[in-house]
This record gives sequence, C-alpha cells and structure tokens, in this order.
Amino acid sequence: MTQTVTRSEVEEFVYETCARLDEKDLEGFLELCDAGFSYKVTAYAPEIRREMTWLDRGRGEIEEFFKMLPKHNTDQSPLTRHAQVTRVRIDEAGQRAEVNSTLQVFRTRLDGGATELFAVGRYIDIVAVREGRPRLLARHVKLDTRDLGWGTHLPL
Amino acid sequence: MSRNSTQWRQKPKLPSTHYADPAIYSDPHLFAEEKEKIFKKVWWLAVHESELPDPGDFRTYRHPGDAELVIVRGEDRRIRTFLNICPHRGNLIVYTPSGNSRNLVCIFHQWAFNGYGECIDIPREKAGYQERLCKNDVSLKEVRTEIGFGGFVWVNLDDNAPPLKEEIGAALDYMLPELQAEPMETLWYYQARLKTNFKLIHDTNSEFYHDYLHIYNRVTGMLKPDTGYFQRRYTAFPGGHASVGSMNVSYESFKASGRGRLGWPKLPPNGWKLVDLFPCITFNLRTSVLRIDTYIPLAPDDVIYEFRVLGLRSDTPEVRRQREKDSAVIWGPFGRNLHEDLLASSGQGIAMANGSEAMYVLQAREEDLTIHDEIGMRHYLAEWSRRMGRSAADPYASERVAARAA
Repeated sequence: MTQTVTRSEVEEFVYETCARLDEKDLEGFLELCDAGFSYKVTAYAPEIRREMTWLDRGRGEIEEFFKMLPKHNTDQSPLTRHAQVTRVRIDEAGQRAEVNSTLQVFRTRLDGGATELFAVGRYIDIVAVREGRPRLLARHVKLDTRDLGWGTHLPL
Repeated sequence: MSRNSTQWRQKPKLPSTHYADPAIYSDPHLFAEEKEKIFKKVWWLAVHESELPDPGDFRTYRHPGDAELVIVRGEDRRIRTFLNICPHRGNLIVYTPSGNSRNLVCIFHQWAFNGYGECIDIPREKAGYQERLCKNDVSLKEVRTEIGFGGFVWVNLDDNAPPLKEEIGAALDYMLPELQAEPMETLWYYQARLKTNFKLIHDTNSEFYHDYLHIYNRVTGMLKPDTGYFQRRYTAFPGGHASVGSMNVSYESFKASGRGRLGWPKLPPNGWKLVDLFPCITFNLRTSVLRIDTYIPLAPDDVIYEFRVLGLRSDTPEVRRQREKDSAVIWGPFGRNLHEDLLASSGQGIAMANGSEAMYVLQAREEDLTIHDEIGMRHYLAEWSRRMGRSAADPYASERVAARAA
C-alpha cells in the first residue's frame, strides 16, 4: 500500500528544512531534498518593474556549491528562519503537496549578538512523497526584501 | 616586530602617489567638499533607457549631489530629467521609484506638469494668483541629461559641465562594439545600503589583487596561468578612468561556474572586459552578462550601492533565464563573489571609520600595469586630488600652511 502524507506531516517537514538550514547542516538539508530538487530566489523590483531571479540552481549545482562553501569568505552570523505554513494543497493521491509559507529571516551578529531582521518573503514549496517520506522537490523563495546588505552565501 | 603609535602613523617610504591618508575615506569635511567639487560636477549614470521604455514612463534617482530627480520619457519619446520637487511648496512630486503617468501631479495641491517640465495645471489658478503668477512662471527645473554608451541615461547637475563624451573620453571605446551591438535591457536592479566609503568599494573594482579574496577567481584564473589571466593590463585614461584588457576565462575548469554556454554579441567567447569610470561607475562585461555598478554616497561612511545586470532586448525567456543564472553564480546578493567583495569593503569602512587609528592606505603594487598592479587606484586618486585641490596622501596640507601663516 502506498503511503500518503498528511498536512501536519507536511508542515512539520517545512519546519524541519528551516531547522537544518538554521543549524547550517547543509548535508542534512540536502537529505530532505529530492534528487530532482530545484531552488530559486526571486524578488520583484519596482524600480525596473520586473521579477528578478537572484538564484536558480538544480540539485547538482547546489551540492557543488555547498562543498565549496568552506573555501569562501562568508558572513558567519547565524540566520534564523521563521516560517509559518499558510496553505497546503495535497493531491488526491497524497503524493505531492504545494505548500505556501510566510517567511522571516533574522540575522544574529556574532559580535555582540544583536538580532536584526534580514529578509521577509514567502516559501513556495513542492513537496513530494518518496518511499513514504516527504521530500522537497522545489523551493521558490519569493522575497519582499530586496536590500540584503552585503548578501549571504547561505540559502534562505 | 609590531609598531608603536608613531611608527603606525608614519608615512610609508614610498612616493606620495602610492599611498593615501585614511581620512579621505572617513572625514565628513572632505566628504562635504567631495559633494561640491565632484558629485555636483560630474556625469552620473542614473538609469538605463530600458527602465522607461514608453512615453509617460518615469524613474526617480537620488543624486549624490543631494538632489532628488525624476527622469521622464515624454510624448516625443525624449528622455528628460527634472528636480523631483514641486515649485509650489517644495513637496516631492513623485514618490514611487517608477511608473507611467501622462502628467506628473503633486499630491499636495494637484499642481500638474507634463513631460517637458511645463506646468499645465494649477487648481484655482486665477482665483488665487490673479495675474501675479501663472503656469509659465512655475515650470520644473530641468537637469542636463544625455543618453549614451549603450543606452544609459546620464545626468549632471552642473549646467556648465562639459558634454558627457568629453568627460568619458576614450575610456569606454574598447567596450563600445559590445555596448552598441544590440539594444539592451535591465534584468536586475539590486540596491544595498552599506556602512562604508564609496571609494573603498570602487577601489575593489579597480584592483584585481583581491583575487585572493575569491575562491572563484583563484580557481578560474589564478591556478591556470595559461589562461592569460595575469597578462591582462590596465589602461589609464584622462579623468581617472581605467580599463582592463579582455581575456578568455577558462570557465570549463570550474564545473560549478554555470558559465560558458551563452555569450554576448561582438565579445569573444568567454571574454571579459572591465572599465572603471571616475568617480564610481564600473562597466563589467563578462561572458554573457553586462554588470553595471554605481554608487550613491550619502556620507563618508554611508553609501547606497546600486548593481544592475543587463541582457539584450531580443533575448528569449530561455536566454534571459540563462543570463540570470550566469550572473547569479558569482554576482548578486547570493553570488560567490559579490558577498565577499561587499564584506571586504564594509570591513574597511568599519576599521577605517572616522576617528579610528587607521594607517596610511597602500596602493603601491607595481607589476608592469598587469592586473595585480595597483595603478587603477593610483590613477583614480590622482584625479581625485586634482579635482579636490588636495593630495590624497596629504589632504590637509593647505590647512597646515594656512595655520602656519596665521
């Protein structure tokens, strides 16, 4: 019998993706991603009245980048993701879900520990069921925030 | 052996062209002077014409000379720039960064202006002003505007400044074939507020010795001496501008680059051309994407960094997506290099803040004008010194002379 996924399992799964990214457990995050995973970050710029795609990577590209990340100079300040799942649409077979979440990302400075809001936006996720477990097939981070200061190498 | 305070603040034993007093990056008085002698005198790249394609389109621009501007495409399709201030009571006329409107109407009292800057409506004009004042008396202040070097919209607050072409000179000539090959369009606009001095970020674009900052550069260029990476040379142009020669980047040596499949008309495959313009504009054409960096200095330690990525107007959605992907790999807020560049120049801003015990800044590398030579920075500061009437190495010399005379 094929196992299906419930709304609460999907919600818990989205929060687990956030937790692993918060912990900078990038391998652990990838374990939650499907082999065909894709990830993109977009933002709408009212200045040019266009949607901009600031990141657009397949699973292989992300894996390669994660391997190289320790060799980069990067802001080590932790990012904390707060997602709130607002809508879950599970298909009839219970094998695939479209999930919308609101997102706030906070940055806590290593020096002094002050926390500031880094970005707000949304997750638009596609979650697939693989061997009875939810897996992230696609994540679209749709940002409202466009000034990210010096930026980040970490996925939001 | 470490240095004591006196040794730390000693001038380097180098020609004065090869170091700078850190005060030029932090002193509010010098910054105020820069505003008068540089920002209000030079041509600034404000927007690209693709950002206002249709009659009635407008874009706002915060000019570094403390002027709020609105750039408008009129019914005659000509682009003009005006101070974004209502001549009635000094309100902003346009609040949004872009839009389309037949006329610009001030929200305060509904005074209206057309794309020629003419006032076309004053509510209850005769009742209030009788014959003492009329619409012709209250048109907008026009700001000099030129379109050039690939459809960019340049503005200048100085009515007596030389034409744009004269200021740029031949600096962009070697990129002109690519800039003029086809109409372009802006794909990205990224703006970040950073706590640093505008010259420090521009410095980063003016020297490639900071290859050591980027794993990406080390892998794609520095570890492959046969690519010609180190053989690229700086060419200095009058006015503080400089260019770096084209090269063929061996992107295939770095499998995560994502680059190499798409090019740019007239640019050799995998080519790279870069031009730095005084005081803080960079044209950076790399394989498939044109990146334009511009800056809006707000204070000595406060700058709005603007970053544009351009493609071609003829691009299909698939080609556009590829250009964005190519750009995202190293540039943009999640790219490999931009984050590193901005971390470094922000770190400089923190360490060399006003009142800090910063030392003289070195730009003394000489390597036959190849890319790790710091001639780009030296040439820039020579122009800065000329315009300011102060040496970058000794900016307070005139004050010392005056104090002695007194």
